[in-house]
Amino acid sequence: MMPYVNEYDTPDCKTLAETAKKSIRTPESLGLDRCIQCGACTASCPAARFTDYSPRQIVKKVLENDHSVLESEMIWSCFYCYSCNVRCPRNNSPVTIVQVLRQMAINEGIGIEKLGYFLEIGEYLAENGASKVPGAGIKNMERDLGDRWIGMKKNLEFIRSELGLSSRDIRDTHGEVQAILESTGYFEREKWIKAKIQEKKVNGFLKTDCSNNERKSGDFGFESDREYTGQEAFTI
Amino acid sequence: MKAIESIPDRKLLLFKSCMVGQEYPGVETATRYVFDQLGVDYCINDEQSCCTGIGHYTDIFEGLTTTAIAARNFAVARKCGYPNITCLCSTCYAINKEACELLNTNAEVRDKVNSIFREKGFDDLVYEIGDMNPRTNFYHAVEIILSKVGKIQEEKKFDFSGVKAAAHHACHYYKVKYLDVVGSPENPQLIDTIAAACGASPVRWYEDRTLTCGMGFSQLHLNKSTSLQVTKTKLDSLQRAGVELMIHMCPNCHIQYDRYQPVIEKEFGVEYDMVHMNIAQFVALSLGADPYKVCGFQTHSVPLEGFLEKAGIV
Ligand code: SF4
Ligand code: SF4
Repeated sequence: MMPYVNEYDTPDCKTLAETAKKSIRTPESLGLDRCIQCGACTASCPAARFTDYSPRQIVKKVLENDHSVLESEMIWSCFYCYSCNVRCPRNNSPVTIVQVLRQMAINEGIGIEKLGYFLEIGEYLAENGASKVPGAGIKNMERDLGDRWIGMKKNLEFIRSELGLSSRDIRDTHGEVQAILESTGYFEREKWIKAKIQEKKVNGFLKTDCSNNERKSGDFGFESDREYTGQEAFTI
Repeated sequence: MKAIESIPDRKLLLFKSCMVGQEYPGVETATRYVFDQLGVDYCINDEQSCCTGIGHYTDIFEGLTTTAIAARNFAVARKCGYPNITCLCSTCYAINKEACELLNTNAEVRDKVNSIFREKGFDDLVYEIGDMNPRTNFYHAVEIILSKVGKIQEEKKFDFSGVKAAAHHACHYYKVKYLDVVGSPENPQLIDTIAAACGASPVRWYEDRTLTCGMGFSQLHLNKSTSLQVTKTKLDSLQRAGVELMIHMCPNCHIQYDRYQPVIEKEFGVEYDMVHMNIAQFVALSLGADPYKVCGFQTHSVPLEGFLEKAGIV
């Protein structure tokens, strides 16, 4: 299958850095070239604290135009918490750069199985104008949260009515949201993602189902500071 | 920095949140109750859709889709005459603010979005440069409440004195558009200030105060153990600080703390003494609201009965 083209998030440029700067996911004033590798981002980063992920290294990889970063499991560990964004002294934004890298990986089908879990969000949004936790997430939540939560969910329509709200949170978007998803290429991309996941499954590339994926970053041997092998994930 | 005097109390579109609607609907009703009590002029419009935040940050929506959906919601706000979008969820806040900035500064994206609208015959959705101002048309409900803190102090019916409370400010409120925060993005104090006005004793600083809640969008689902480690770190710190009540401002944080506290207790063999609520629920209680018929505490996972009894509310 051909790579997917996502021209606004991942504009086709000569280098990773240029794509990151031109992408609409990153701020206009992105200080990528101003990065001084100070590590303030990594020092503020929850993912770096609990796994061997490092936003500073990701930025370095991007500046070195090293495309292996796209293959790294590491880019999937970011919480999108924006701590690096607020702390960077050079107005760089590792968090939005990681968003661009994930989109670039997706275009190539890398890590795409992780998206399978969330696709339902788009379908539900088109239909109801609202979002919800996808079905697989609900199953995990039922398992983790148990009877109290399941009971609350069963009772939700009643509780909402008691609070004076409509029994279900459904919006009246006159089909406009559905049309916007269509015209911005959402459904086409969804189809492409599903086919790609299927292709990977058939070819046996998917070892685990993404709902069981508990791996930390680092098992792809990504480090760009070559002799640094990455530390064990820190478990409390 | 956002000046507190600049925060409007008129023409607010109270922007519905999907996660509030499905998990903690009491946050919406509590916010309405508080706004009503404080004389805030707002409206709710069912034509407003989800901001796409959950899909945007789980990487399934392209930036273009998110921006077009935002432009549509801006039109909804303008058409009903309530252009000050006021969010219950920090991610709605950041998504909308960023989309507005993009629409104002990037002609290519603006033209593309508008051409889609025109092609579909949605001419009334077309976005012209400057239709919305990213700095002055977007607020989080907590900012509106903060701007009325004097009135809350005067009119409160119930005083939380003696309650040791801690705040968790939402990352997407103060770390995304960090120049537009009330106070310092290194140490936001909005919730603490409001809690103090209701009589509580805020724990102004605790270890890892600015650490994320741990939800991390796809992280809770794809890397659950890391996600819960982050949450546990916060809860441990609050426990050490002797916190009874944790107050937050975002349904995603609320899910992470309230729903997953019992899970962490079970999986890690620990016990916590604190309960959770949204700042609007807290202020509503203080202004005399019913804990169930207005605040909707029956949807919470960590039972609040013990806390409410001790505080003398039920
Ligand atoms: S904080 Fe900013 S300047 Fe420092 S390493 Fe990270 S991206 Fe580079
Ligand atoms: S947004 Fe991602 S890279 Fe930045 S601090 Fe949070 S987890 Fe780390």
